[in-house]
Amino acid sequence: MRRAPSFRDRLARRLPQLVLSPSLVVVFIGVYLFIAWTGWVSVSSSRMLPRYDFVGLEQYGRLWATPRWQTAVTNLFIFTALFLAVTIALGLLIAILLDQRIRAEGFLRTIYLYPMALSFIVTGTAWKWVMNPTLGVQKVMNDLGWDSFVFDWITRPEFAIYCIVIAAVWQSTGFAMAIFLAGLRGIDNSIIKAAQIEGAGLPRIYWSIIVPMLRPALLSVVVLLSYISIKSFDLVLALTNAGPGSATEMPSTFMFSATFRRNQMGVGAASAIMMLMAVAAIFVPYLYSELREDRHGR
Amino acid sequence: MAAERSSASARRARLVGRAFIYGTLVLLALLYLMPLWVMVVTSLKSLDEVYAGSFIGLPRALTLEAWEKAWATACIGTECGGLRPYFVNSILMTVPAVVISTAIGAMNGYILTKWRFRGANLIFGLMLFACFLPFQAVILPMAQVLGRLGLAGTIAGLVFVHSVYGITFTTLFFRNYFVTIPDELTKAAQIDGAGFFRIFFAIMLPAALPIVVVSSIWQFTQIWNDFLFGVSFTSGASSPVTVALNNIVNVTMGRKQYNVDMAAAMIAAVPTLVVYVVAGRYFVRGLTAGAVKG
Amino acid sequence: MTPFARLLLATAIALPDVAPALAEGSLEGIHHWVSESEVNALKVITDKLASKGFTWVDSAVGGLSGANATQALRTRIAAGNPPATMQFLGYEGIDWAAEGVLVSLNDLYAANGWEAALPPQILQFVKADDTFFATPVNMHRQNWVWANKAIFDQHDITPPTTWEEMIAAGDKLRAAGVTPLSLSDETWQILEVFESILAGQGGAEFYRTAVMGLDPDALASETMVKAFDTLRAVSGMVDEGIAGRDWAVATGRVAAGEAAMQIMGDWAKGEFLAKGMQPGVEFLCFPTPGEAHFSFVIDAFGMFRNSDPNVTAAQIAWAESIMDPEVQRQFNLIKGSIPARIDVPVDDFDACAKQGFADREAAIASGAMLPGLTDGFAVPPQFAGVFFDVVGAFFVTAGMTSQDAVSSLVAGIENAR
Repeated sequence: MRRAPSFRDRLARRLPQLVLSPSLVVVFIGVYLFIAWTGWVSVSSSRMLPRYDFVGLEQYGRLWATPRWQTAVTNLFIFTALFLAVTIALGLLIAILLDQRIRAEGFLRTIYLYPMALSFIVTGTAWKWVMNPTLGVQKVMNDLGWDSFVFDWITRPEFAIYCIVIAAVWQSTGFAMAIFLAGLRGIDNSIIKAAQIEGAGLPRIYWSIIVPMLRPALLSVVVLLSYISIKSFDLVLALTNAGPGSATEMPSTFMFSATFRRNQMGVGAASAIMMLMAVAAIFVPYLYSELREDRHGR
Repeated sequence: MAAERSSASARRARLVGRAFIYGTLVLLALLYLMPLWVMVVTSLKSLDEVYAGSFIGLPRALTLEAWEKAWATACIGTECGGLRPYFVNSILMTVPAVVISTAIGAMNGYILTKWRFRGANLIFGLMLFACFLPFQAVILPMAQVLGRLGLAGTIAGLVFVHSVYGITFTTLFFRNYFVTIPDELTKAAQIDGAGFFRIFFAIMLPAALPIVVVSSIWQFTQIWNDFLFGVSFTSGASSPVTVALNNIVNVTMGRKQYNVDMAAAMIAAVPTLVVYVVAGRYFVRGLTAGAVKG
Repeated sequence: MTPFARLLLATAIALPDVAPALAEGSLEGIHHWVSESEVNALKVITDKLASKGFTWVDSAVGGLSGANATQALRTRIAAGNPPATMQFLGYEGIDWAAEGVLVSLNDLYAANGWEAALPPQILQFVKADDTFFATPVNMHRQNWVWANKAIFDQHDITPPTTWEEMIAAGDKLRAAGVTPLSLSDETWQILEVFESILAGQGGAEFYRTAVMGLDPDALASETMVKAFDTLRAVSGMVDEGIAGRDWAVATGRVAAGEAAMQIMGDWAKGEFLAKGMQPGVEFLCFPTPGEAHFSFVIDAFGMFRNSDPNVTAAQIAWAESIMDPEVQRQFNLIKGSIPARIDVPVDDFDACAKQGFADREAAIASGAMLPGLTDGFAVPPQFAGVFFDVVGAFFVTAGMTSQDAVSSLVAGIENAR
C-alpha cells in the first residue's frame, strides 16, 4: 500500500517533463540531429547523394570561392536590414493611424493583411509585371504623361534586390501592423489624454511616449521578420529566379540549387552550416541576456 | 470670440489631421491592392488578350473561363481535374497539423512557464533557435525518417513533418503568453489539489483562447502555403494544393496560361483569406491579450 | 459533435486511405511536362501504355527547368520509395546509373534493335558501361532562329550566315526602329544564345574541347573572349522590357511583329503554329549563324529498380511504348520536337521539322551533333552552373569585360572540379 502512492508521487513530480519529452525528442531529431548530419555532409565529398567520407574543410573553401555565395551573403544583409527597417516603420505607421478610431478599420486592416495569405508562387508573377518597365508602373506613369518617370530596378543587377525588398515588405507589413496594433490597444488611453492636457501634439506624444512602450511588440516583430527574411525562398524564385544574372541570390536559394540542381550537396551543406552559425552568432548572446534577465525576475 | 476662433482653428486642425490619416491609409491600401488588381483583371481576360500585351489594364471582354478551368479542368500532368482534388489534400494536411502543433505547443508553453525545472530555459532557447533552421537542409534526412516510418509519399507524413517543425513556433507563442499569467493562479490551484492536467484544462486553456487564435492563424498560413515539404514528401494524387498550383503555373518549355495561373492562385488562397477575414479581428485581439508582452 | 470535431474525425478516418495504393499493373512516373502541349504529347505514350494493359499514375512536378522534379526524385530515393520511371534531362540519368539504382534495358534494346535506330551521339545519355538505362522519346534542337518574315521582307534582310551579319542586320533593324532580337534576362535564355555563338564562331571542335572537355587553355582562349564580345554586341539588339520575360512572350513579340527575331529551341515553333502562321510564309526558321551544327536536347525515361514483378512488367511496356515509331511520330508532332529515332517517316511534319531532320543527318555525318549546354547535356551540372553564373552576370552587367568573364569562367570551373 505504501509503494504505490510513492510511485504515483514520483510520477506526478516528473509528469511535466514526461509530457514535454516527446516534443523534445522530435525537435532533437528533426532539428539538432539533422543539423549534425548536415555538418557531417559538409565535410564529406557528397555530390548527388550523401557520401560519408571526410575531406576536411574543402567544401567550405569551395563555397567561399564561389562568387554567387558572396552575392548571397551580401544580399542577405542588405535584404534583412532594409526589410526589417521598412516593414517595422510602415507597420508602425499604419498601426498608429488605424488606432485613431477609424471608420472601416476592419476592412482596411484586411487589405493590409491579405498579402500574408497568398502564396508567392503566383504573386511573384504579378509583381514581376508591376515592376517590369515596359508593362507596369513605369509604363502607366509614362502613358499618363510623366515621360521622365523611370522604375526599372528589376532589370538592373545592382538594384534588383530592392525589388525583392519591396515585395517582401508588401507581404509582411500586415503582420507587423497587427502586432503593433495589439501593442497599442494594450496601452492605457489616459496616458495620451494626460499628455494632451500638458499641451503636447499627437506626433510628439507618439514618438516620445507611446513608441518606447511598444518595445515588447517590437521584439516579437523583429524575431518573426528575421525568420521570414532568412527563409525567403519562394519570393526570390518567383520574382527574379535569383536574377538578373545571379544578382538576387540568397543563401536559401543558393543552398537549394547547390544541393538539388548542381549536384554539389557538400557545398549546399556547408552553406547551411554557415547560415546557422550566423543565426547563432546573433541569437546566442541575445538569448543569453534575455534568459539571464528572466532569472532575475521578470 | 477668441475662444470661438481657437475652437474653430482646432476644428480645422482636427479636420486636416483626419484628412491626413484617411488619405494616408487609403493611399497605402490602394498600393497594397495593386498586385491583387493585376491578378484579378488577368484572371478575367482571355489568354489571347494577355499575350497581346495587356497585363495590367482592364479586360476588354470579361470571362470566367479561367476560374472554371483552374478549379475543375486544368491539367496537372495528365490528370485534368483542376485544383479541386488537391484542395481536399491540403485541408486533410493543414487541419490536423495545425491542431496537433497548437495543442502540443500549448502544453509545452504551460510546462515551460508553470512547471519550471532546471534547464527549462535552455530547452526553450533550443526550441527558439530551431525556428531558424533552413528547411532546405533537412529534406533528405527527413525523407529517410519518413521512409523508415512508412510515411513516405503520404499526407500523414506531411502532417507529421509540419507538426514537428510547427512545435517550435507554437511553443514560442504559448510560452510568451503564459509567462504573463500570474504564477499565483496555478499555485493556488495546486494547493486546492488540482493536478497537472486539471490546471491546464481548467485554468490555462480557457485563458489562452486569444493565443490559440494567433498560433492557429500563423500555423495555418505557414502550412497551407508551404511548397517545399509538399513537393518533397508527396507526389501525384496526394500532393497539396501548392504543388498542384506550381504544376499549373511553373511551365518552362510550354506556353503559360496566365489567366488560369492567376485564378488558380486566388482559389488556392481562399482558405487563408477566409481565415484572415473571419479571424482577423480575433487575431489582433489575441495579440493584444498578451502575445506581444513576452 | 461540433462541425470542427467532425472535420477532425473525418480527417483521421480518411488519412490511411491517402497513401498511394498502386493498383496492379500500373506505372508511376515523375516528369516535368506540365504545359498543355507537353501533356497532350505525354498522353500519346500513356495511351499506348494503356493499350498494353497498364495504367499511368501521374506524378508531375513542374518548374525551375526540371529542378523541382529532380529534387522530388532525390527525396523519393532517400525515402526508399523511388518512382517506377522518371524523365531524365542531361546528366541526371548518367548519374543515377552510376549509383546503380536503374534497371538495365539491355535485353529490350537487343531484342528490338533500338541501338541502331538512335543517332550515335545520344547513346551516351542512355547507356553507361555497356548498360542501357533509358529510352529517349524525342530530340529538340536548341540553335534555331525564329524570324518574322514580313519584317525581314520589309527591311530587305536575309537570314544571316555569320554572327557579324547577324549584328549588322541588328543595326539595320534598330536604325529602322524595329527591335532586332526578342529576348529575356532569364539566364537560360541568354545561355542558349551564348552556346550558339560558341559553336557557331568556334566550331564544333572548339565546343567539344572548351565546353565538353573543360580544357583550361580553350576556356581562356581568344575564341572564348571573342564569343563574349559577340554576346555583348548581341545584348545591344534587345529592348528594355526583357526583365523576367517568359520565352513564349518573347516568341509572341516576334509573331506580332514587335521584334524581328528570337533565338530559341524548336519548342518556340508551336507559338507561331498556334496563331495559324505558316513556316516560310509568315515566319522563318533557320539555324543560328556561323559554322553549321545541331545542338540537341533529348527527353529520356529511366526505370528504377523495383522488387514488384507487376512494376517490372509495366516498365517493359513503358519502354516499348516510348520506342514505338508511331508513338514517337505522334508525340513529336504535338511537342514540336523531332523523334529520337532516325527511322520515323517525316512526311507529315512541317517544313521546320523537315529541315531539322535534314540538318541532323548532315550533322551526324560531319560530326557537328553537339549536346546542348543550357539543358545540362554538355557538362555535369556543377560545371553547367558556372556557365550559367558567368554568362548571366556578364549579360546584365554592362561594366564587365569579356576578359573578366573569361577569368571568372576559368576560376569558377576550377573551383567546381
